[in-house]
Amino acid sequence: MPKQQANWSPYDNNGGTCVAIAGADYCVIAADTRMSTGYSILTRDYSKIIQLADKSVMASSGFQADVRALQKVLAARHLIYQHQHNKQMSCPAMAQLLSNTLYFKRFFPYYAFNVLGGLDSEGKGCVFTYDAVGSYERVGYSAQGSGATLITPFLDNQLKSPSPLLLPAKDAVTPLSEIEAIDLVKTCFASATERDIYTGDKVEMLVLNANGIRREVMELRKD
Amino acid sequence: MSIFEYNGSALVAMVGKNCFAIASDRRLGVQLQTIATDFQKIYRIHHKLFIGLAGLATDAQTLYQRLVFRHKLYHLREERDMKPETFASLVSAVLYEKRFGPYFCQPVIAGLGDDDKPFICTMDSIGAKELAKDFVVAGTASESLYGACESMFKPDMEAGELFETISQALISSVDRDCLSGWGGHVYLVTPTEVTERILKGRMD
Repeated sequence: MPKQQANWSPYDNNGGTCVAIAGADYCVIAADTRMSTGYSILTRDYSKIIQLADKSVMASSGFQADVRALQKVLAARHLIYQHQHNKQMSCPAMAQLLSNTLYFKRFFPYYAFNVLGGLDSEGKGCVFTYDAVGSYERVGYSAQGSGATLITPFLDNQLKSPSPLLLPAKDAVTPLSEIEAIDLVKTCFASATERDIYTGDKVEMLVLNANGIRREVMELRKD
Repeated sequence: MSIFEYNGSALVAMVGKNCFAIASDRRLGVQLQTIATDFQKIYRIHHKLFIGLAGLATDAQTLYQRLVFRHKLYHLREERDMKPETFASLVSAVLYEKRFGPYFCQPVIAGLGDDDKPFICTMDSIGAKELAKDFVVAGTASESLYGACESMFKPDMEAGELFETISQALISSVDRDCLSGWGGHVYLVTPTEVTERILKGRMD
């Protein structure tokens, strides 16, 4: 009998797509609400977005058990920060914390593909995009998850903001208005839903600006 | 790396109002090295029928030679050009002949059929036809192309607008794919004329 190998994997992929766009004085973070495993749907109503601080919102696709664990760790660390410094963490600080938390598990990673969005200390929109082990970069917009390859080229084309592909690197904020950015996000999800089986059901959008935070939900195709 | 990703390619065809457009990138690579930046992937079968071939370049060239041969024979016997639907069936049959040792190509066929009605289709490497009413994509950049086309496409576009749309979709998609790019090649075909244009994009 040939040597038997373990065929149990600690990971699973629950699918889904996340998008974030940074504006001059706002930030939109969006994710679909479908959770799947293999070719089955587990639920049509699962939120992949969490508000970590006043001005930091994280959306994560990938293995949701790892995502949930990651969210708990970050929330706990933020609480400790508030006790020690008597203030909320800024978005760039949260970005660094997320990177360090991910790299801490470099040799048994969180299977989580994150985008962090919020407002920086000057009130300008900021988006940080990550890989599974914590490599990160501040960008004007980002998409992660199963629909990312479908959405990203369209965002490159539509956002009048400089693409991360341009050299020299330019200021990472789009001149689009808040309404225009939200419409764009809705279009992206509608298109991704058509061609990606893991994206659909609903898209949940969080908008951060000087007035606070607003939540909007749009229905998507359920097939 | 998969054999389909050896040379790199991006192909897209779109239907407009009484016209169609078919576009490709221009790169020929050997894995990560770029060999040519003016490589032709779209071939003319007759003035109202074009075929683009994505995948392994040597198979694409051989397949094109075989198909042109078959069409020339057809033309001699039937004294007319092949309809796009018929040609698509021919391509499908030629690919399926090699079911257990296939050509590593994915064709994109576009033509004007009876009454100059636009026809597009794509197939997998063993001849499974996929007819579409709006657009078809193929190549290493196919996922990006799906996303871009799905967002940008509108039905019944006139020739000028169709050209703009297909060009934007192609350039944005190949800019996110390392194996395709170095510009674009767009054919815009109406019942009266065929326009061939070269696009300049990121040259990397």
